[in-house]
Amino acid sequence: MAGDMTAGKGTASGVNPIHVSARDVAVSFGPVMALDGFTADIPRGIVGLLGPNGAGKSTFIKASLGLLTLDKGSISVGGLDSQTQSLLIRDSIGYMPEHDCLIPSVNAVELVSYLGMISGMASLDAMQRSHEMLDFVGIGEERYRPIKSYSTGMKQKVKLAQTIVHDPKLLFLDEPTSGMDPQGREELLGLVKKMASSEKTIIVSSHILQDVERICDYAVIINNGKLVRSGEMKTLLAGEEGVRSLTVRGPAAALSGYVRALEQICQIIDKRDEVGEQITFLVRGCEDGKKVFRLAAENGVQVRSLHPERLDLEEVFLRAFRGGGRDGH
Amino acid sequence: MGINPIEYHPWKGERTAQNLRLYVIARSVFRHKVRSTGVIIFMVLGFLLVHTLNMLLFVLVPHERLENSDMSSYLANGTFAIFAMLLAAVVTSDLISEDLASSSFVLYFSRALKVRDYLAGKTAGALLVMSLMCAIPPVVVAFVSIATQSGNDYSYSLGVLGKTVLVGALVTVFFVPFGLMISSFTKRKSYAAVGTFMSFFVLYIVAGIFSEFDKAWRIISPIDSLSILFNWLYEGDVPSYVDEGALVAIVASLIIVPAAVVYFRLTRQVVGK
Repeated sequence: MAGDMTAGKGTASGVNPIHVSARDVAVSFGPVMALDGFTADIPRGIVGLLGPNGAGKSTFIKASLGLLTLDKGSISVGGLDSQTQSLLIRDSIGYMPEHDCLIPSVNAVELVSYLGMISGMASLDAMQRSHEMLDFVGIGEERYRPIKSYSTGMKQKVKLAQTIVHDPKLLFLDEPTSGMDPQGREELLGLVKKMASSEKTIIVSSHILQDVERICDYAVIINNGKLVRSGEMKTLLAGEEGVRSLTVRGPAAALSGYVRALEQICQIIDKRDEVGEQITFLVRGCEDGKKVFRLAAENGVQVRSLHPERLDLEEVFLRAFRGGGRDGH
Repeated sequence: MGINPIEYHPWKGERTAQNLRLYVIARSVFRHKVRSTGVIIFMVLGFLLVHTLNMLLFVLVPHERLENSDMSSYLANGTFAIFAMLLAAVVTSDLISEDLASSSFVLYFSRALKVRDYLAGKTAGALLVMSLMCAIPPVVVAFVSIATQSGNDYSYSLGVLGKTVLVGALVTVFFVPFGLMISSFTKRKSYAAVGTFMSFFVLYIVAGIFSEFDKAWRIISPIDSLSILFNWLYEGDVPSYVDEGALVAIVASLIIVPAAVVYFRLTRQVVGK
């Protein structure tokens, strides 16, 4: 192979080499700009690609595969250019589409081995490997039934099997848990984590933020064809340094007095009133917890919790869409 | 999943060259089609009604050599072309429509496969099946006739055999691009099969109506144009009302235009534009 899919070009956050790199990418469908100056570096590992419907996630994936002509910019996948070396790229990637795309009249073994052969495997290899991959994803004897008789969860597993049959180095999984029940989701996410341990880069496009938060090492948030935010998951989920979450409880009048007093010693960034008897603050500059407790005692309110700010991905996502959050955080 | 979870293992085999992968599609189409009931029915009927009867005739009737006129009356009487058309309608009906219906193009084109290779694979598979009815049997019949000829003019007979190879190849190729084009217009293979048949039938009717005024209109019917072309190949002459250039142009356009249409339709499908 001319290109080396294991060759990284640099580092993101100083941890993993970059596997996919987009620079000022623009793709339009008539008057609609699907990608508009999109720039991002995607490192190795499990990477979440997040964004609302129509954000440009699928367009980015198609453009990375070389299926779309870029209006401007460039995408590099493992050091290969998506426009001029698309066949080499496609030989080294696996793509699990979001929508139903399996041929209903054939069975899972026939389909997976057929697609393995189209990916360049010899007939015998493809047959053996398709059985191995169907075992891996948990499709048992049903593999000999026509795909049209499968449940949604089984179809998702067959889609995953066809994605990995040729052992690609990079996987694009578009909404892999879409339409699956909790147990099926659990199984599929487990499979994704197992595959990642064999040094694959897995780009997961999903609306289910809990899934992404659980399995991804890195996240890229995209909206209106532009990068909104990206970074390592632990960095994204860690709150801003020096910001704490404080929850106090007490009578309404006492709470008002406490707020006034608190404003004298720290900066209140956010305040969430809960049924008039409890308030949760985001405060900056309250490193001295003793002062906070002393003010609470003086004002007759009870401190229920005081801890450094912790976010979940949903909050990160919402803040990114509100315009970058506080201080670009 | 069993007591011991099955782990992911890398594959360490060698990949085949990218430009050879169209053969995988061709082989799959061929294997699928030769097991299809509809294809088997048309094959059996075609063998019996078109080829077997003529072969018996050639064997039973004493002949000094294989004559152009014999092969012309066998292959240019319209029955052969009609069976070829019906078989092509059945063979090509689901080749693209099924992928359209199941949106499975993405499974092909997310791999190292070009639209050109996909189409070439599907076409090659269909041509292999068509050749079982349209190319191989006429050659076999011609061979049998040569084998049972009483005279020694084998060079003349082999010349006729060469023309038969050409005719067989032409019929094999003629209907497939049109069938693929119709298959790319619909998601239902039954519509594609009926559409292919009806398109040719409508052209046949239109040619019949207009030939009342001017016989030259006969050539817009694919069945008639093929029959005239085969007569021309075997006997060296065409009816006086037929322009040879127009005849070749009609036959060529019925192959080239549908092939171009299906290519551009698929190119647009792949990129989702």
